Amino acid sequence: MIHRKSIEGSRAEGRAVRAFFHSTVARCALSGLALVLAILPAPARAQSADPQPVPQPSAQSADQKLDQLQQKVDQLDQAVKVAQRKQELAEEAAAEKAKADATVTAGTGGFTIRSPRGNYLLKIGADLQVDNRTYLGVGAGSDIDSLVLRRVRPTFSGTIYQYIDFMFRPDFGQGTTAIYDAYVQLNYLPWANLRAGKFKPPVGLERLQSDDDTSFVERGLPSNLGPQRDIGYQLSANLFKQRAYYAVGVFNGVPDASIGTDTAVSGHRDYSARLFLTPFQPDENALSGLGFGMGVSGGNMDGEALPSFKTFGQQSFFTFASGVTAVGHRARLDPQAYYYLGAFGLLTEYALNEEGFQKSNVRRVIAFRAYQAQVSYILTGEKKSYTSPTPKKSFDPLHGGWGAVELAARLGDWEAEKGIYSYGLASSANTPRHLHEWVGGVNWYLNRLFRISADYGKTNFGGGAPNSNKLPERTILLRFQINFI
Amino acid sequence: MKFTTYWNCAALAVLAGSALAAAGPVKLLNVSYDPTRELYQDINAAFAKQWKAKTGVDVEISQSHGGSGKQARSVIDGLQADVVTLALAYDIDSIAEHAHLLPANWQTRLPNNSSPYTSTIVFLVRHGNPKHIKDWEDLVRPGVSVITPNPKSSGGARWSYLAAWGYALKKNNGDDKKAQEFVTRLYRNVPVLDSGARGSTTTFVQRGIGDVLLDWENEAFLALNELGKDKVEVVTPSISILAEPPVAVVDRVAARHGTAQVAKAYLDFLYTPEGQEIGARQFYRPRSPEVAAKYAGRFAKVQLFTIDEVFGGWQKAQKRHFNDGGVFDQIYAPR
Repeated sequence: MIHRKSIEGSRAEGRAVRAFFHSTVARCALSGLALVLAILPAPARAQSADPQPVPQPSAQSADQKLDQLQQKVDQLDQAVKVAQRKQELAEEAAAEKAKADATVTAGTGGFTIRSPRGNYLLKIGADLQVDNRTYLGVGAGSDIDSLVLRRVRPTFSGTIYQYIDFMFRPDFGQGTTAIYDAYVQLNYLPWANLRAGKFKPPVGLERLQSDDDTSFVERGLPSNLGPQRDIGYQLSANLFKQRAYYAVGVFNGVPDASIGTDTAVSGHRDYSARLFLTPFQPDENALSGLGFGMGVSGGNMDGEALPSFKTFGQQSFFTFASGVTAVGHRARLDPQAYYYLGAFGLLTEYALNEEGFQKSNVRRVIAFRAYQAQVSYILTGEKKSYTSPTPKKSFDPLHGGWGAVELAARLGDWEAEKGIYSYGLASSANTPRHLHEWVGGVNWYLNRLFRISADYGKTNFGGGAPNSNKLPERTILLRFQINFI
Repeated sequence: MKFTTYWNCAALAVLAGSALAAAGPVKLLNVSYDPTRELYQDINAAFAKQWKAKTGVDVEISQSHGGSGKQARSVIDGLQADVVTLALAYDIDSIAEHAHLLPANWQTRLPNNSSPYTSTIVFLVRHGNPKHIKDWEDLVRPGVSVITPNPKSSGGARWSYLAAWGYALKKNNGDDKKAQEFVTRLYRNVPVLDSGARGSTTTFVQRGIGDVLLDWENEAFLALNELGKDKVEVVTPSISILAEPPVAVVDRVAARHGTAQVAKAYLDFLYTPEGQEIGARQFYRPRSPEVAAKYAGRFAKVQLFTIDEVFGGWQKAQKRHFNDGGVFDQIYAPR
């Protein structure tokens, strides 16, 4: 809309100039000026040998002079305005060009290079965790106190051609090199994003939580019963303004808690699906932080390695009997939920697996169960959520900033059915089939990217023959972590 | 639980999710050229009301405006337009050709070559017409300063350029050389080129530059209404061009957004009596004979020629005059 006020305002200067030249005073002044201009040569003539009478300018010639001057002024006025307008257009063009240039940013979100419309984006990130593991009491085997590089993961992620996201993240931690994430995702249809590559299959709630967002240094026991990473295809999307999330996928299939070998060990495939609902919008009501859902997977274990189960202290606690192989059907069921309200957080999940094993002529499906319930509270008042909190004040004590501090506790349980002994798949003499753990911890978020965590966990073992169970594991885990993606 | 049971549950969840995802308010983006802001503000409000009454669904329509050629390039580069309503067919052809977002025959899908309204090029002069500008010939006189946008980026400027060329051709019995000389002289009188029609209006009206603005008829009357007859006057030349701004659904974007149906209905609405009336009120010449008769007093009678009859269509005109190295590049030297 063209606004009269702005138009008149911008033209005021020009009108003022014209008004001046049309005013009586100005006309008199300019007439005088014209007269002076007309008689300027007179002194020169007065000094000549033959002086002539000075001609007096007529009123008509003065008006002509005045008109000429006014024309000159009008021309100058236009020239100035044109120059100013060209300058404006040049500045607009420069601003447009700046919009067309790629931007490089470095900040709390990491390091990014972004094309003007965001259709092309490269993010460079890192995930580095240094753990100190202290086992209290009498240790044996590998449970010796140690400092480990738990995760060392450079991350390259971004977008190409507007609709295609990618992620590549290897891990060099714990003395091994492995590809953890390597996938592309086509986001063309808002209700069906297609992902292909290696990533977390959609089953476990805490497994799908990024390791820098978990409330504890190590995940709970249900994560022992789900796939960690696998190669496959997945369709997923958030629907209804983020109120519902679904994911379905087909994968090579990996043993529990494994990242696989990056190759299929049989022609069979695993199929996974997850539906997770967050019915209420953020800040809508007291249930806004409620989420619940179910993850499932099914497939065939033929030819796979046997699963390996670990305690909070990252010690393998379960040993299959010699000659046992994985064979036949596997199904995983994982009901899950979380609830966040202000600084308080609750996360819980249950995992039920049915997995086939064979020893000699004995072939049986064994059920494994695990659950956990964890609560957390941020003492410094930040909002707790599925992702890490951003401290209200980053660590800077000289200026009153100490970061955010969180307390957390969890209970967990893991169990294999009794048949694991009766069918000879494991020995009750040296392998417990039941674990119960509790963990307490404190997390200090110095800023959005850097965190220090200290957890104490106790795990009791049971279910085996009398005197065959391990002594309780009591572990202190201390972690220094930096993470930005 | 059996494996098949898992998957039946999952499949049902996905199907239910997909079906429900289609519900909710519909959002459209209309990418248009510079002077149509006011037109589509009114059209959008009227269509949203009609669509709500008809389907019970809310529709939110966003507008994007700029030089027509520039807007087309933005759509080609990824601007998510559900519909485009640009200044000339060539710009939509470019989207079809370079981004394949709609079929090449898009212009046959709606009546009147997908152009629901027309306009032409007129002159906006200052009050009292101090330079006595009556027709195209007056624009090439020494001392007359002409304001028009850059034809490389502005659809309206291309129509203006071709209107001047067509006038010169007709005056000189089809002598192409004389037409080029005429247009060359005209652009010698252009002190500054904006990128779009609205920018040129700013240059002329707000910055007070120039003696005459070559403008869309609707834009000129809009300025006249806003500023008043004591500030500017509209001069209709003896001959001008029939400008036919086209509209089209951007099929692939609309399909992806799930808006194909509402996008088509939106463009169909432009042809309805209500849509035509809104256009006429905003000084776009209606296609509907009834509405045209009703608003006949708004539009001066002028001899109009089409781009097809004088230039052989937009493709030829674009290639010869406006592509890089074309006639315009040869005749216009920035000062």
